Amino acid sequence: MSLSIDATSALDYAQNAVDEALRAGASQAEATLSIADRFSTEARDRAVTKLEQSTGRSLHMRVFVDGRKASLSTSDFNLAQLRETIAGAVAQARHVAQDPFALLPEPSENGARHDLELYWDDVARRDAQQKIEEALELERRIRELDPRITNSNGSHVGDSSSTTVLVNSNGFSGAYRATRVHRSSSPVALDGEAKRTGAYGTAARSLPHMEQVHAVAEKAVKRTVGLFGARKPQTMRVPVIFDRDVAASVLSDLFSALSAANVAIGNSWLVDRVGDRIGNELVTIIDDGTMPALLGSSPFDGEGVPTQRTAVFESGVLRTFLYDTYYARKLGARSTGNSSGGGVGPNNFFLQAGTRSQEEIIADTRRGVLVLDTIGFATEHASGTYSRGARGYYIENGEIAYPIEEFTIASTFPDMLAGIDAVGNDLRFDGAVVSPSFRVAEMTVSGD
Amino acid sequence: MLEKETVERLLSTALERGGDYADVFCERRLSTSFRLQSGHIHESGLGITQGVGIRVIVGESAGYAYSDDLSIEALARAARIAALIARSHSGGQRSVRIDSARVSPFYDTSRTAHAPSQAYVNLLERADAAARAFDSSITSVNANVSDELQDVWIGTSDGRWLHDRRPLISLGVQVVSTKGRERGHGFVGDGGRTSIAFYDERTPESIALEAARISITNLQAVPAPAGEMEMVVGSGGGGVLLHEAVGHGLESDFNRQGTSLYSGRVGERVANELVTIYDDGNLPGERGSISIDDEGNPGAHKVLVENGILRGYMQDHLNGTLMGVGSTGSGRRQSFRVMPQPRMCNTYMPNGDSSVEEIIASTKRGIYAKSFAGGQVEISRGDFVFMVAEGYLIENGKITTPVKNATIVGNGPDVMTKVVAVGNDSKLANRHYTCGKGGQYVPVGVGMPTVKISSITVGGSNVA
Repeated sequence: MSLSIDATSALDYAQNAVDEALRAGASQAEATLSIADRFSTEARDRAVTKLEQSTGRSLHMRVFVDGRKASLSTSDFNLAQLRETIAGAVAQARHVAQDPFALLPEPSENGARHDLELYWDDVARRDAQQKIEEALELERRIRELDPRITNSNGSHVGDSSSTTVLVNSNGFSGAYRATRVHRSSSPVALDGEAKRTGAYGTAARSLPHMEQVHAVAEKAVKRTVGLFGARKPQTMRVPVIFDRDVAASVLSDLFSALSAANVAIGNSWLVDRVGDRIGNELVTIIDDGTMPALLGSSPFDGEGVPTQRTAVFESGVLRTFLYDTYYARKLGARSTGNSSGGGVGPNNFFLQAGTRSQEEIIADTRRGVLVLDTIGFATEHASGTYSRGARGYYIENGEIAYPIEEFTIASTFPDMLAGIDAVGNDLRFDGAVVSPSFRVAEMTVSGD
Repeated sequence: MLEKETVERLLSTALERGGDYADVFCERRLSTSFRLQSGHIHESGLGITQGVGIRVIVGESAGYAYSDDLSIEALARAARIAALIARSHSGGQRSVRIDSARVSPFYDTSRTAHAPSQAYVNLLERADAAARAFDSSITSVNANVSDELQDVWIGTSDGRWLHDRRPLISLGVQVVSTKGRERGHGFVGDGGRTSIAFYDERTPESIALEAARISITNLQAVPAPAGEMEMVVGSGGGGVLLHEAVGHGLESDFNRQGTSLYSGRVGERVANELVTIYDDGNLPGERGSISIDDEGNPGAHKVLVENGILRGYMQDHLNGTLMGVGSTGSGRRQSFRVMPQPRMCNTYMPNGDSSVEEIIASTKRGIYAKSFAGGQVEISRGDFVFMVAEGYLIENGKITTPVKNATIVGNGPDVMTKVVAVGNDSKLANRHYTCGKGGQYVPVGVGMPTVKISSITVGGSNVA
């Protein structure tokens, strides 16, 4: 049996895989099959340096043997091999401890939302040559915008068009198509002897929803030359303003602490805190998989539970963690439609926008730091501490004074959420986890 | 997976429109994993990654397509798509012949299957019991074991046809201890390109006890100080410093394109003369070892920096060819779905002359970073950051209080001039590091002796 690229044959293949698992001794099974056409191109200066185009398929399954769970993933679609792999997964499941919560969602919990506008013809139909021209145009524009741009790490344009089907042994089957398109550029400039690099990119489900080519080029250039002559700041405790992208990375870390998978094993500083006022009243954080045409939306999650809108923090009060079916049962809650297939993942997860522009927030900051970029990552969801290498601008008397770099910012998540005293109006849904700019009243900035 | 003759046909098709070079990368990877959570085997996984990637190189440009459909029609289609990068038809039809070549392995390639499931389960249960027994404040133990066998077959338009089989096993133990609202975290992992027999000597108990001890240490730790101070980096795990501060900047793509701060500086002084750095793909059984890289070139021993002088970059085929020096066996990729990039293998610093005791004793006020949890670098300027997994204060020549959540921030070339002492205790770290670059993850090794840095910025929350 071969697998062609249409939803009907994909559904048949997934159904067959589920039946095969039941024959091999599974009491329940679920198969998710995704097929994606991907294109990407890179240009550097006047040359097309990369051109990639492929169709990729992957099958992910969960099999349950009387409350014992195993998963498998494969890109080998040979049916005899699939039968053997499924038998292997069922055999491995017998070594797993029996767990009363390790089951598929109840049939009544499965379902799908409709008309989320995830598939856009303009993306699927766009000619390869147009995408190549666009990457070359980004390279041309960054050099035209500023003569100090002498090089680049490349401009990238790409898209994907995918079909996802999910079938389980409780009778659920669902399918949806989705598109994604992105463009980005990473200029390199000479600041005296030193090289500086910046990057900016944008993504959406469809072409009209994406930031324009010139806007991407301008922001990439600004991020590159804006830090010319940056100094190392003094060590101090001051207000810190997080620019949109770094604000989103803070939310991404916060999500890990809200994930029921971490809460269940004590690996979260938010354990036992539901109902508590933790954030400033400006802090309202939403997870919503139902917003039309957004990158974090889908008709159902990784186990066929319809997505929903969940208020996670409301005016600073923690209302709920985010659950898949397993951890919801384990912790006595209901799934919030956040299964990522193997764990708990975000839909559109965002801090609700405020009313002030970033400029107004800066003007309202006597002395502080605007952070444009951080490096490093934390795994300390248990203690809730936050520490990153950063670069950005020093703010004095409500104005950007000069660029700064080679410093760290540090605090704890509880202090940061409580300290958010200004939220920007610049929220943009160009990813699944997004945020407007915000200001934290006080953090430790470590430099000289 | 594919016949030699099929690969020859695909290479010929790939070069139909011209092009300097083409390669076909076939991969079949079998992986198995078990995870223990809260005292029970929580889940198990099984995976097959199988497919073929076809690449055509024309000058500095590359066309790429992959297929997990192994039918000749699908593969030929991928070859024709990869060929689109060659815009002229001037190359014309070229018939490619490939010959099998021998590969000298640096790990056991005889294993064809995973161990019985019960053997993995036993490792996890032994680790769990050992960690729990260590201290009554330990509230959570999670452990994971994964084992994989990756077969790669590589055919190149310069006539080579090679096969490598790479085992990779890893056991990781994560321990959380609790005292009131305080939580202490410890993680230790070890394994390598070896089999489950590795854990006969490096027992799961020894890994679990190390993780438990770090967790308890962090539970007692005080917030890290903030500001400039001396730093002593511990042997083994301290090697993350080399990987981030220097290693990435010496990968040849950044240097050929002129975007690294090390571009055009071979032969120049880039570090204190105490500093020598190697990258080695040939260390038996290490995570970053490769008998051949993913372009079919031997994973060699490379001298990157010698007594402070930059000696060379890590090259893959494309960049090494354009720079006129050839590959150093550094072309690696995550899977058949992506093109290779120049990458590190096992990066380490050999022994210096100082004893660990004299290095500590000479430090008046500083931080002792015994191991790092990870790091990141920005290539064009070399600014890096890393997170200390286990750290202590050094006060008046003595290691004193443990500190938690220290982030170290610095600049690669700057910190390499501030190396003021190199210990005589060089060793490789526990084998659990994975390096990410451009969205691709590959296993690597790091190593280092105890090293003293005269001044660095510590980003704690405690302003002195």
